[in-house]
Order: sequence, then C-alpha cells, then structure tokens
Amino acid sequence: MTSIAQIQPQRARGGTRRHINWTPYLFIIVPLIVYFVWIIGPTLYTFYLSLTNWDGVSPNPSFVGLRNFERLFTDRTFHEALTNNLRWLVVFITIPTTGGLGMALVFNQEMRGGRWYKVSFYSPLVLSLSVIGLIWAWVYNPSLGLINSFLRGVGVADPPGWLGDRDLAIWCIIAAAVWRQVGYVMILYLAGLKNIDPTLTEAAIVDGASRWQLFRHVVLPLLAPVTTIVLVISMIDSLRAFDLVSIMTRGSQRTQVLANFMYIEAFNNYQMGYGAAIAVVLFSISMIFIGFYLWRVIKTELEY
Amino acid sequence: MLKRFGFFGLMLLVAATALAIAPVIAQDDGTGPISYNSYASDPLPRAFDEGIVADWNAAHPDQPLQHSIIAHEDFKQALRAYLTAEPAPDVLSWFAGNRARFFIDRGLIMDFSETWDSAGFDDAYAPGFEALARVDEGYYFLPTSYYWWAIYYRPSVLEEVGVAAPIETWDDLLGACDAFDAAGKRAFAIGTRFRWPAAAWFDYLNMRINGPEFHTDLMLLKESYTDERVVAVFDHWQQLLDHNCFIDSPAAYDWQEAVDFMVRGDAGMYLMGGFITDQYPDELEDDLDFFRFPVINPDVPIGEDAPTDGYFIAANARNPQGAQDFLAYLGSQEVQQRALDELGRLPTRTDVDISGVSEATQKGIDLIQTADYVAQFYDRDTTPEMAEAGMDAFMAFWDDPSILNDLLAELDADRVRLAEEQAAE
Repeated sequence: MTSIAQIQPQRARGGTRRHINWTPYLFIIVPLIVYFVWIIGPTLYTFYLSLTNWDGVSPNPSFVGLRNFERLFTDRTFHEALTNNLRWLVVFITIPTTGGLGMALVFNQEMRGGRWYKVSFYSPLVLSLSVIGLIWAWVYNPSLGLINSFLRGVGVADPPGWLGDRDLAIWCIIAAAVWRQVGYVMILYLAGLKNIDPTLTEAAIVDGASRWQLFRHVVLPLLAPVTTIVLVISMIDSLRAFDLVSIMTRGSQRTQVLANFMYIEAFNNYQMGYGAAIAVVLFSISMIFIGFYLWRVIKTELEY
Repeated sequence: MLKRFGFFGLMLLVAATALAIAPVIAQDDGTGPISYNSYASDPLPRAFDEGIVADWNAAHPDQPLQHSIIAHEDFKQALRAYLTAEPAPDVLSWFAGNRARFFIDRGLIMDFSETWDSAGFDDAYAPGFEALARVDEGYYFLPTSYYWWAIYYRPSVLEEVGVAAPIETWDDLLGACDAFDAAGKRAFAIGTRFRWPAAAWFDYLNMRINGPEFHTDLMLLKESYTDERVVAVFDHWQQLLDHNCFIDSPAAYDWQEAVDFMVRGDAGMYLMGGFITDQYPDELEDDLDFFRFPVINPDVPIGEDAPTDGYFIAANARNPQGAQDFLAYLGSQEVQQRALDELGRLPTRTDVDISGVSEATQKGIDLIQTADYVAQFYDRDTTPEMAEAGMDAFMAFWDDPSILNDLLAELDADRVRLAEEQAAE
C-alpha cells in the first residue's frame, strides 16, 4: 500500500523529462526473485500439474488435458466441500463481523474490567488452530464433553452427538472457528474506533444526534475501511479453512472443505494432478475476493 | 572475546564441517555413515529404536548411523520426498503390503536380494513373510514385526451381562448385542473419527463371509464393489446396526477415546489391534482378554488382519552397501528378540525364542499361526485412493444404510478408474 502511495506523486510529476530512478528497483530485485521462485513459479507449476496425472514420485507427469476438472465437477466430495466452504463464508461474513463490531462498541467505552474482557475475548487468537481443534473436539465429546455433561445435568435425556452427527458436524466446526474469529474482528474494530476523531462524534452529539443516528451516520461510515478489511479477511479465512477440519474430523462426517480435500488427494492419495486441480479451483474462487479487495484498496488510494 | 568464543565455537565448526563433508566420506565398500529415518515417535518404540541404533554404532564405529525419528503422521507424508531426493536417506521404516508395493513398482526401492541370501533370511523367515518381502524375483522390503487384530473384551463385563466368551458364531454375536442392549449397555466400543476402525469390520466381515481369496481380489481392484458378495457384507453390517451393537455417535471419538467406554464398563468389547494394550489402563489389564472374530461362513478359510511393519532401502541411497549391512542387522534374530521382549512385537523370523512371552502374546501368536491367510489391513492392502473412498463409504453407510446401492456404485466407479490407471502405468 505504501509503495503505491509513494509512486503515485512521482507519476503525477513525470512530465517532459522522465528520469528513471533505478535505486528502488535495485532494492526490490532480491525480494522479487524470491517471490518469483517461491510464489509465482509454484503457482504456475500447480496450473500445469492440474492438467496432468501424477503420483508425486514418478519422473514425469503425464498430460491428460482437462480430465481432472471433468472428474472434479462430477465428484460428490467436491460438491460437499464447495457447499461447506460457502456455508463457512456466509457464517463468517455475518456472525463474527456483527458480533465483533458489537463487542468493540461495548468495550470501547470506559468500563470496569474492560481491558480484562478485551483480553479474554482476544485470547483464543493466541492459540494455534490445531489446539483449538483439539479443545473443541473434547468440548463436543458426546459422552464426556462439556456441552453434553451440561445438557445431561439440566435433564436433557438424549443430547446430540455433535461431531458424530453428520448433519451437525460441519456447523460444530464452524462454531469453533467463529469463537476464534470474533475476538480478531473485535480487535480490528477497536483499532478502527480509536482512529475516529472524537471531535466528529462530539459534534454529532452537540447537534442532537441520537445514539443510533450517531452510530449509523457517523461511526459506521468512518469504519468503512476497517469493514472492508474485516470482510475480505473473513472471506479469505473461510476459503482457506483447513486446520480445524483436519484436526476435528479429517474431512469425514460430511465436513470436507476444499483445502483439506486438496490435501487428502495430493498427499494421502498420491493424486498430485487431481489435488492441483482442486487448488486451481480454490485459487480462482479466492482471486474473486482478492481482486475485489485490491480494487477497493487502489480505488481508495486514488481518492486521496 | 575470541577466547570466549573459542572452545564452543570450535566445536560448532568441527560439527558443521563434519556434517558438510559427511556425504563425501561414504565409500563403495560400505564404510562411512548410514542415514536411517524412522517413524518410531511413540515413547516405547522410540526407546527401542534408539537402543538398537546405539548398539549398532558401538559395534560399527566406521559405519555410524545418522538417525532421524520423525512423527508418525509426518513421516507418512514425507516419505515420497525422502525417496525421490538425491541422495535419499539410506534405510527407512515402512509398512508391508500395497503401501510398500506402491514405491517398489515405481523403482524407488533397492533390491537387496544378495543380502537376503547372504544373511540366510530364506531359512529364518516364515514363508508368509518371505512373500511380503519379495516382488517377482527380487527382495525389496524387510518385514520385521507384526501385531494381530482380535475382539478384545472385558471378561467381568461380559459375565455381568450374561454373555459367554469366546463368541464363536454370528448368532451368538447378535445375541450378545441384544444382551448388552437389554442391560443398558452396548456390546462394542468403536471410535471412527479417523474411520479406519470401521475398515476392520469390513475386512473381517468380508473375510468371514466371502473368504480371504475374494477379499484379496477386491483389495487388488479385481472384483467389483457392486458384487452381491459385497452387498452381503453390508447386510451383515446392517444387522449389527439393527441390533444396536455399537456405541452411539462413534464418529465423535477417536479410537483411544472409545476405549474409555470399555474402561467404564459401558461397552464390553472392541475389535482392535494388539496395540490397544498401550492405551488400556495397566491396573485393568488383568480384566482384558481377546478372541478370534467369530466364524460366519464355516466353508471359507480363516483370514486374519495382521499388519506387518519393516524396513526398506531407497534406490537412491548414498551408501547402498552400508544400508544393506544395517538392514541385515535389523532383520537379525538379535534385534527381533529385543523387539519382542521390549515391545511385544511379534517376530517374523522363526528362530526367535518365544518361550518367555506372556500368555496373551502367546495367544496372539497362535491366533495368527492357525489362520489360513494373513491380510495386512484395508488401507494397507488396497491402493491409497481406494482406501480413502472405501472408508468414506463405510462411514456414509453407517450414517444412512438406505443409500448403500448408490455408495457401492460410486465405489465401483472409483475402482474401475483406478484399475485403468494402474493398468496404464
């Protein structure tokens, strides 16, 4: 973002005599080489692999054209994974976003123990996703877990099997992900709220704005850049969902997601070509959201 | 400053240089270091593994081992990278059956027939294990130990419910399920979160109903999943579900968590491998016994699951001669005796002294030796992708038996495609 901001005025100035300053390019060349070798190169190679049939050990992948994609679009597991990613996406852009915003608004006020609450809601983020997966798998344990012990305690005779129930399992995993995401979104919004100039809100109050009007017409528009970031992060996080599924069910119980599906096909089933095809589809879907984000960012940069 | 850096720095420098030039030292005559990667990451196997490495190093100072232990699951994923590296690690631990065959067929594993002959393995190894080591005329995989599968049970719990052990027929098995159900318990604990414990049920039902020959052909993708014999397997499975044989929500538990149902006495039995005793509380082990999976069709030979572990040498090994020397040591009577004494792993050699083993181990040995056929396990006998699809289907069936025909049709489509790909290679 800074680079765009810095380059911008230069371009504007560049009129008659264009003098190219090579120094920045000299500095950028090393990271650029690294970037090409480790990011662009493997990405292109994945595209190539998706058109082949390769077990990952034979010397040469054999070219099969679009056969992997044909198979993919008729694969039941692919549809299951895509549906689950979409469920994840819908939940992620609604619940943690509104929940995190609400909590940020509450904790932004001076209140007793406010800092303690902030820390406790943020603390899940300190844990690695694998640890969260393990903890929640215990919480969901139908015979000894926290939830069912509580339910039995209050007299529910036949509590659900949670991860053992194929209709509930994916929602259980998404719930665990939301538990973590809410604190993250809250912190982003808290930072955004701190950046709002108090004179603006005070002016609104002086002008007699109600609390709702203040929020709706002053605070929320000022938070728009944060909201964009939060939405994009939520979308990308929900598309690359992998860790919790891998730990909690390994994709069984109708909880498959694209990233885990790709991992299983490529590294468990030795179907590198098919795994690469899944990766290409996942990449394409992600690009829609990343493109949207870049478009927003560049547009905002230009407005300044 | 330099002085403080001095000694420690010098040591580091020496170590770094030694590591850097180590690959160069290896000679064709087998001297020089041998690299050895294994997955023995659990405490007991790790201690054993490190013990045999220490003994080798003491006896062969000119061929020291560079030993790396990698966590079990990571090792499985990393193996392909190891084998295709230049140079590859010399000796690696792995599983027998299709899991090993996959790499052998791709020319990544070294033929050690000369060592097999010179070490006298032909006389020492039981014929079934010799067959696991060989592909056509070459020897590629050295099977060194195995364990058995059986129905583990708690005698006290079965007695309480009024079920006589061992259960020897299908009707008695269903009767036991009913007796447990009536007592407010469940006959079988099972944890299918990672699916493979369900595959054990498929293996045993298929082998008991259709016999080991059909089972093997199915594993090799030669028989169809839509065959009526496969449907019969699921019919029997359906009966187990109808008789409430299993604990509720098995997919919510991994295999270790499901052991708790037995420990608490809420379930009486568990179809599991011999490693269940690692997970079982020591104070209750007196109240744990096992018997053979009951016979269903008395006309077919008895097949048992007995997964075999062992070692192989990478085709790209840096020190092929050293690797073969070490492999000969790993397959020796001395090491297998230690594996039996320290880990309770059953030996693949016939000359290991089993007089000192526990009663349970002896019973396990008898179980396998009286079997007509020994299978590895569903996910070791069939191809990795077929195993993945199959285990998914088992779980889907468990959840909703009414979709069986669709599941089998899909499985067979997978099988046909995989068989074609295999034939094309």
